[in-house]
Amino acid sequence: MPRALKKSLPHVALLSYLLVILFPFLFVLFSSVKKDNNAIALNPFGIPKEFVFNNYVEAWVNAKISTYFFNSLYISILASVVSIILASMFAFAVTRMRQGKWNTILFTLVMVGMLIPNNALMLPIYTIVRKMGILNTHWALIIPYIANAIPFTIIILAAFMRSLPREIEEAAVMDGLKAPGIFAKIIVPLTVPAMVTVFIVNFLGNWNEFLLANYFLSNDELRTLPVGMVQFRDQYQMNYAQMSAGIVFSVLPVIVIYAILQEKIIEGVTAGGVKG
Amino acid sequence: MNKALRNPLVFFLFILPALILFTMFFIYPIFSSIYYSFTSWNGVSDTVKSAGISNFEKALGDERFWISVKNNGFFILFSCFVQVPLIILFSLLISNVKKLKGLYKTAVFMPSIMSTAVIGILWGFIYEPNIGLLNKVLGLIGIDPLYWLSDERFAMLSILITNAWQWTGFYIVMVLAAILSIPGELDEAAAIDGATGFQRATRITLPLIVPIISVVIMLSIAGAMKAADIVIVMTKGGPAGSTDVMATYMIKYAITNFKYGYGNAIAVLIFVFTLVVTAVYQLLIARRTERIEY
Repeated sequence: MPRALKKSLPHVALLSYLLVILFPFLFVLFSSVKKDNNAIALNPFGIPKEFVFNNYVEAWVNAKISTYFFNSLYISILASVVSIILASMFAFAVTRMRQGKWNTILFTLVMVGMLIPNNALMLPIYTIVRKMGILNTHWALIIPYIANAIPFTIIILAAFMRSLPREIEEAAVMDGLKAPGIFAKIIVPLTVPAMVTVFIVNFLGNWNEFLLANYFLSNDELRTLPVGMVQFRDQYQMNYAQMSAGIVFSVLPVIVIYAILQEKIIEGVTAGGVKG
Repeated sequence: MNKALRNPLVFFLFILPALILFTMFFIYPIFSSIYYSFTSWNGVSDTVKSAGISNFEKALGDERFWISVKNNGFFILFSCFVQVPLIILFSLLISNVKKLKGLYKTAVFMPSIMSTAVIGILWGFIYEPNIGLLNKVLGLIGIDPLYWLSDERFAMLSILITNAWQWTGFYIVMVLAAILSIPGELDEAAAIDGATGFQRATRITLPLIVPIISVVIMLSIAGAMKAADIVIVMTKGGPAGSTDVMATYMIKYAITNFKYGYGNAIAVLIFVFTLVVTAVYQLLIARRTERIEY
């Protein structure tokens, strides 16, 4: 085989894979600026002859993207931050405080939690949420999201905290700090890099979550972006150009964040592994 | 030594909030599921009537339940026999190219950070019979439009392809990280001994990444057992229940039809099946592969 061919063969294979990944996005992007279904049907692959940006305006209004977007944003951020606070306290206690066998027992318990297929727990969680009287409020998502992320967050943060040298606390104790002070002033600042990683993973998990968001909320104003998008699709089934604009709206923020933070995101998500 | 880090009360206060949530949303639901799976409770009324094992008998005797089990099985088989070979191939290719490595990695990973719901919508558009991308492409080579999502013969396959499209890149990046962490000397030594690129890939790299492949398969099994949102978004389990998976079957009964006890019996069966599949995999395959020493 000639050398040049041999060298380019892997690139041919990889570029075709890339095409399979990227073309659907381009297809949606092109469709979103076409006039209607007919325009898509006549020229499915290419850039449209005339650009129609009206779809974006209509989708923004009809799909209530702004409402769903901000619902998703604040639910995801709030739940991720609270899980990190609670999980870091737990991780600090089991890795840095000397409670003998309790540390191991509690940590093992959390590890077991990682193995439970969480979709199967949806029904009891539904009942808990209903009994708490928060069904059909945002708390019905925020509290389960916080809880759901806790095992994973504890495991990653505990692994990080365990790697910090013991001498740090000894010095802090000499300076008269108590456990809460050591936690807040010494351990938390040192754990920030790991926290950023788990925050990204938790945030993406919450941002994309569909099942609970679909069944625990019935009020339209409260919906999150994935559920809102599905509902929008069901309502405007026939208008694919407008639907494409809706897809672009919901995918764009994720792509922008990914473009900026891709290294952190890849590192975090693959470390979690189980999140998908 | 120091007392500051030995105070049991402080320890207790630190673990308490996370422990409460963990108990409420992980431990309690398991026992609650098991308990209600033996009742005929509708999820709302005050009286809970025991139903013995009738829920389980009903589920195991229901043809539609077995269709959903089979569909979960398809998810697993598709990942093991279609996705895993692709994952190995593409991660080896990416690790061997010198140019564009970063671009490939970034692009391939992208679908896995997106919402499954939105990807379901996007692919629903691609599968659309009249104007969708797929039929237009097939039309170029003279194939008549196919009704991908509303034809029982293709609906499940369509979902599996979408699922693979979303997750293959995620695993490629995982395996790629493992390949890149193999010390370069091994490869160089083999190259000096005259091994070709293909030989080095199959005789050196491949055996060394067997453990991570095993992890990929485990994760795929776990993912396959909880697949639900993609089915709900793309077909709602249709046509005629042919694409239901266990989780969507459970939701259909428990939430839509108020058969809460029955739904919980399905949840328990999902646990049991997940445990069985994982155990079988560990015993038959994972153990055997560990015997390959390197």
